[in-house]
Amino acid sequence: MVRLKARCVRTNKLFFPCFVSFLDGCGACVYVCRYLLCEVCVSQRSKLQLLEEKAIFQAVKSAVAKAHGEYGAALFSIGSKVTYLNAYTGVVMLRFRKAFYQLLWSALPFINSIGPQGRKVPCFFNCIYVGGTIKTCQKFLVRYDRQQLYRMLPHCKTGAEKQEVRRAVQTCSHSFYKATQQEDDDDDDDDGGEEGEEEETIVL
Amino acid sequence: MSVFMDLNIIAIADKAKLQSTIETAAHLGYSTVAINYVVEGQQKKQLIPKPQPVAELFEKFPIVQGKSRPIKVLNRLTVVVTDASHFRLANAYKDFDILAVFPKTEKLFHAACMTYDVDIICIAATEKQPFHCKRSPVNGAIERGVHFEISYTAAIRDSTMKKYTIANAINLMTTCKGKNVIVASGAEAPLEMRGPYDIANLGLVFGLSEGDAKAAVSTNCRSVVLHGETRATALGIIHTMKRPQPPSEQPEEETPAAKKAKTETD
Repeated sequence: MVRLKARCVRTNKLFFPCFVSFLDGCGACVYVCRYLLCEVCVSQRSKLQLLEEKAIFQAVKSAVAKAHGEYGAALFSIGSKVTYLNAYTGVVMLRFRKAFYQLLWSALPFINSIGPQGRKVPCFFNCIYVGGTIKTCQKFLVRYDRQQLYRMLPHCKTGAEKQEVRRAVQTCSHSFYKATQQEDDDDDDDDGGEEGEEEETIVL
Repeated sequence: MSVFMDLNIIAIADKAKLQSTIETAAHLGYSTVAINYVVEGQQKKQLIPKPQPVAELFEKFPIVQGKSRPIKVLNRLTVVVTDASHFRLANAYKDFDILAVFPKTEKLFHAACMTYDVDIICIAATEKQPFHCKRSPVNGAIERGVHFEISYTAAIRDSTMKKYTIANAINLMTTCKGKNVIVASGAEAPLEMRGPYDIANLGLVFGLSEGDAKAAVSTNCRSVVLHGETRATALGIIHTMKRPQPPSEQPEEETPAAKKAKTETD
């Protein structure tokens, strides 16, 4: 377990594979995880900037504890983590152990607000994807964010906004294809995710 | 293929809020929603509300997430029956696409399952159901194609309600074994909606199996909508409707046509 943790820190955070197996003296030790990509929906998009990993972790923790009691809290304390947070698009990636992710997931609909007492942001979690690895989640997220850009296009009021979104769509699709081509060529792929993030920052 | 539906969005007078709720539903990936008008049967002469025409709600309906077509909006009526006289013949309710009934006593629950011409039977979410769901009426309802509805908004709002909702849901599931169940929101505000995948997973808490929970937000809802359509028609085979053309000019045009036809036959 200690070795697993050390490895987790050393590797790139976004590309840490979930399916970690390493042969020890005692035998194979496998942890299978599930990654939940959730969208945090708020009434005003500007409130998304207030999101923090810590606050989300606390909100999920208390929701699980409230829904499933001490048993749920105990399960949550094993291997659960907020892996990724994008405060611009409001996408959160949560990591749970596969053995009981459904139980922990069933507590997520009961989250009403995030944040410390007094500065609560009313919101809700909408799960958009469940993946087995971070890589598949990322692939999905790039595709999903591009869809959001297409959805954004008809809502643009001014011409400048329209141009901006159009440009973002073009750049992201170009880089996406480039990234996928590179992926096909050689399996060493560090492009996909970064492109995904780039595209999101362009828009907002 | 799965098309998600949410057949319970409470109709509120605030049009902007209703619009934003429906927009949220489209964003979450629901391709059909139903606006729910609730009628309490307390008064002697209950007033059935006129449903607002759906086309007036939006100039342009929001596009569903992941699909390219706009969201479909239906009208639904829920009749709360505390006495047998509160439920009238189906003719009075023909303006609505879906008809639901919320029985308060065991006798009415039995009648709703076996005889009432409805699409949905609501299960209490804000109080402990005062009666036990018996096997025979529930089986009768399943045979007739009537569905049972669990709404989850009350559970999200308050933890006591959550207890009641889960207890009533599990009580029902032990009887109907997960068949003919739909899970709908009953939302009044946009932040009370939840995504379809979350609800499918929440079904596990309500005692549904994985497949049944997914069917509760997709295929079962579809059969409710189709059942609602058959109510307006004769067994779903024949459907009569008024001709939309104005009748003023028709007789003048028709007579020459008839004459012409005669001359042709001669």
